[in-house]
Amino acid sequence: MDALCAEFAGARADENGYDLARTLSPDFPNDTLRAIWQSCNAHDVKSVVKRELSKNVTGMQRLSHQELAGWVEVYHAYWKAVGELLAVQSSWTKVFGAWTELLTALLRGYNAHGFEAWTIPCLYVTGKYLRTFAIKADDERNSGSLTDNKAAANFQDDFNPESEQNATLEDCARQLNKIFNICLNDRAPLDLSRKWGIYYVTNLLFKTYFKFNSASLSKNVLKALSVGRGDMPDLAAFPKSQQVTFKYYEGVLCFLEENYVEAEKYLTEAWNNCYKGHMKNKELILTYLIPCHLLTTHTLPSQKLLEPYPGLQKLFGPLAQSIKRGKLHAFDLALQDSEDEFVKRRIYLTLERGRDIALRNLLRKVFIAGGFEEPKEGDGGKPVRRTRIPIAEFTAAISLGSQETLDDDEVECLLANMIYKGLMKGYIARDRGIVVLSKTGAFPGTGL
Amino acid sequence: MASAQSSSKNDGKAVADSKQPEQPTEQKTAAALEEDDEFEDFPVDDWSVEDTEAANGGEGTQHLWEESWDDDDTSDDFSAQLKEELKKVESSKRR
Amino acid sequence: MTNTSTWQHVGDSGGADQRHPQTTAFTAVPVRQSFAAHAAVNPPHPTNNQSASMAATTEPKKKIDWPESVRSYVQRSFLPANMISEVKRDEMEAKLKETISKANDTGVMYTINWETMELPQQMIQNERKQALALQQIVGQYPLASQQFAQSFAPPAIPAWQPSVPVAKSSRKRKSSDLDEKKLPSPIPPWRSGQAGQSLANRTTFADQEAAPKHSAKSQKEKRQKYDGGYKSTYRIPSPPPNDGPVKGTCENLEKRYLRLTAAPKPELVRPERILRQTLELLKRKWKQDQNYSYICDQFKSMRQDLTVQAIKNDFTVEVYEIHARIALEKGDLGEYNQCQTQLKALYQLGLKGKKIEFKAYRILYFIHTANRSALNDALADLTPTEKKERAIKHALDVRSALALGNYHRFFRLYNDTPNMGAYLLDKFVRRERLAALCNISKAYKPSVPLRFIAEELYFESDVEAAQFVLDLNGESLLEERQDTIVFLSGKAGQLFEGPKKEAFSKVDIKGQI
Repeated sequence: MDALCAEFAGARADENGYDLARTLSPDFPNDTLRAIWQSCNAHDVKSVVKRELSKNVTGMQRLSHQELAGWVEVYHAYWKAVGELLAVQSSWTKVFGAWTELLTALLRGYNAHGFEAWTIPCLYVTGKYLRTFAIKADDERNSGSLTDNKAAANFQDDFNPESEQNATLEDCARQLNKIFNICLNDRAPLDLSRKWGIYYVTNLLFKTYFKFNSASLSKNVLKALSVGRGDMPDLAAFPKSQQVTFKYYEGVLCFLEENYVEAEKYLTEAWNNCYKGHMKNKELILTYLIPCHLLTTHTLPSQKLLEPYPGLQKLFGPLAQSIKRGKLHAFDLALQDSEDEFVKRRIYLTLERGRDIALRNLLRKVFIAGGFEEPKEGDGGKPVRRTRIPIAEFTAAISLGSQETLDDDEVECLLANMIYKGLMKGYIARDRGIVVLSKTGAFPGTGL
Repeated sequence: MASAQSSSKNDGKAVADSKQPEQPTEQKTAAALEEDDEFEDFPVDDWSVEDTEAANGGEGTQHLWEESWDDDDTSDDFSAQLKEELKKVESSKRR
Repeated sequence: MTNTSTWQHVGDSGGADQRHPQTTAFTAVPVRQSFAAHAAVNPPHPTNNQSASMAATTEPKKKIDWPESVRSYVQRSFLPANMISEVKRDEMEAKLKETISKANDTGVMYTINWETMELPQQMIQNERKQALALQQIVGQYPLASQQFAQSFAPPAIPAWQPSVPVAKSSRKRKSSDLDEKKLPSPIPPWRSGQAGQSLANRTTFADQEAAPKHSAKSQKEKRQKYDGGYKSTYRIPSPPPNDGPVKGTCENLEKRYLRLTAAPKPELVRPERILRQTLELLKRKWKQDQNYSYICDQFKSMRQDLTVQAIKNDFTVEVYEIHARIALEKGDLGEYNQCQTQLKALYQLGLKGKKIEFKAYRILYFIHTANRSALNDALADLTPTEKKERAIKHALDVRSALALGNYHRFFRLYNDTPNMGAYLLDKFVRRERLAALCNISKAYKPSVPLRFIAEELYFESDVEAAQFVLDLNGESLLEERQDTIVFLSGKAGQLFEGPKKEAFSKVDIKGQI
């Protein structure tokens, strides 16, 4: 404990919040944790902390009486939490509880003991591990037998299976929200404001909500953020790790709402600023950016882009290839082959829509294969493509490679879709069994 | 100076992996596939522009994305097959 | 400072307390090896339920440590002087075991007065006397409530067997369709192709409960009755030690639904035994009266009784399934959705039920509510085998047809919907017709026969198709030519876009999360 207090003093002298936060970390070797735990006992822990802090923090750095009292509570809570962590008979639920107490002590420090804004990394670290412990607590409870976790009385009409499963993590989210509010609502001048903590905790909240699959709660955070954004520092002034993480989640949230244009914008920002060496995160960004590109600009990732990511090559390679070639059946197979992977990443329903592009490319090939009309007088000698194409030709093309042959009505339906979506220009003349394509721009944006 | 974050980069993962519940031996659903898709903490808190993806070939992204329809290769099997099929349609109509 | 992960340290810390001489006064808490491995260390004396249950997963069940008083109770039971000739030794042993483990389970092992406790042979003798007395009162059945139950569910003809033929019918399967073979077939001839097949594929209540199962259930009830009798004689009047779920004692079959604001009173909650009878009663009433508000109310109170008692078993599944079907049939999607949410969780617990049928509904429901993220979750929840099951495959095909704008395929699937899925499809068929009409209006020039619209969009007749167009102010688009009517698609312009947009934005359902 005296070592921690000495570190506290050093961090305070430098006003280094990250150094300070490390004194509240659970992430030490067991020996270190044990040494902390054994350096005090329940009776003397508060007086030890008080004595050590007074002894170490001297001169100009000296803590006010009020502030000292706040930190004594914080380290007392930390000490108890470390004990819980070491205890054989404990459970993750108890560890989570002890860590919640630590967070509460910290929050009280900001609300009632005048903790300064540079110390906010303490909230980061506490919040981060609170989430870790919450996940462990839920896992622990869920892996218990069926009958274990239903002892609690339930006076609802129905069970609430979701929250039964994530009860601790949901509690954790409520705690993290307190951090969010204490940062957001700080009215101090910017250079002394806890607003500098907002993106870290926002990202932590996103991560937590994503874990229990609630995009709507994430949207609420975004709303609260945009309301308060006026008097907040610009995102660009925050560390890049926070910028990139924030943009990633913002992009994925838009993606899930099918707002692919916005999603592409945010994900591209995340991509551009991402740390070049972090392959895992870059891969995640591309996982959503690639489907965005497919739907917004109908573009596909190049070999060069996918090269460093074997996982993405496997995931998107066959699909991209089939779209490019207009191989409809191959597209269906590729989508089916990786269905589980796509569904897991929540991109299946988006990629499925790429079938339209594959179909467009196939129809375009039929158009090209149709060649040119016999030159007529008045054409000015410029060759004109054959624009009246029998439905039967499209039927043959669409059925290619597949076992089943589509009937002409279904083919017409698919063609009607292409026309309706603006991917093909022209009309169906049903009585004549042909499609009449536009002489100019029959397939807009594809050079034809 | 290493930040609190940097020293603990991988812990979340270690913690998360250390106690996986047993999967049932039944067929797996996509939902049951192992989750590894969480955006990770970066090893450092901040970095210079030179260390960004954009400064390292990521930007000017245009050459990294290509048109979906720009398939010049008309010599592959599929194109040949397609031509074959279209010919059949035409000849069946003439008859 | 570089920390390797604490959580990966394994091995050396077990005996750490000894190596660190204790200078302080507190009692050291034993140190666990690592976060992950802590469960493997057996706590010497579990001090609370949490650690006790953790210990139970890692070591074989400990032998119950009987107190002296219990041991002498056992000895006393087998003293030759106390034996009763009518009671066999194995019966005694069973009873003894039951008595002691019950005392242990309810935590009264140490508080019960074993000196004055009835001996097992005496218990058995008393029970027999009691049963005999009851038999004389109610006739052939050994227990009063058994008789009660029988009056609701005679074993030979199950209560759900229809007493009156079901007159109404449609291509949809009804929750009350219990006799499937006798249904007439009022399907329009031009869509009769699949009708026979879809009728044959319906599932009903009937196949869930064959007669043999029923008698097995009676057996079980009998057993429960015995336990109940035992308990009422010997139960210690104090409440259970921890705040567990209530145990209902209410014997009424019907109960009005009331939202709970406080802990339920046991005397107002029906135990599973009664709820099973309630379900049979409600099935019968539904078939006879079709009074939805009554039925819905009764099902909600059943669900509540199950929940407060934490009953999660195959019966729970059945209650939710039946309520879900009835709600579907009456178009009460809010109530249906509450049921399906529960069912999803119950199936995940491995409970048995009509998993395939309801997973398929779930997909159709989320198509209707256009809830993409829920749809993704529903897909994630399927195994490869399930995807090949007819009902699920149908729902998946519907989903992909609509996703790809393939109205042609969608309307063919509409005609061939298994189980009660058509009730869900009905909810969004209008908006899909509008979407298709928009498509056709933009893509076909100059016109198409009205017959084509009727066939593609699956209207019952040309007249119905014409009415659909007329209702959308499209009278100028219909033109009579010789003996046919044509639809002037080329002149429709944006006419149907507004209604389409409106139809797609109007998905507002009570109870939808």
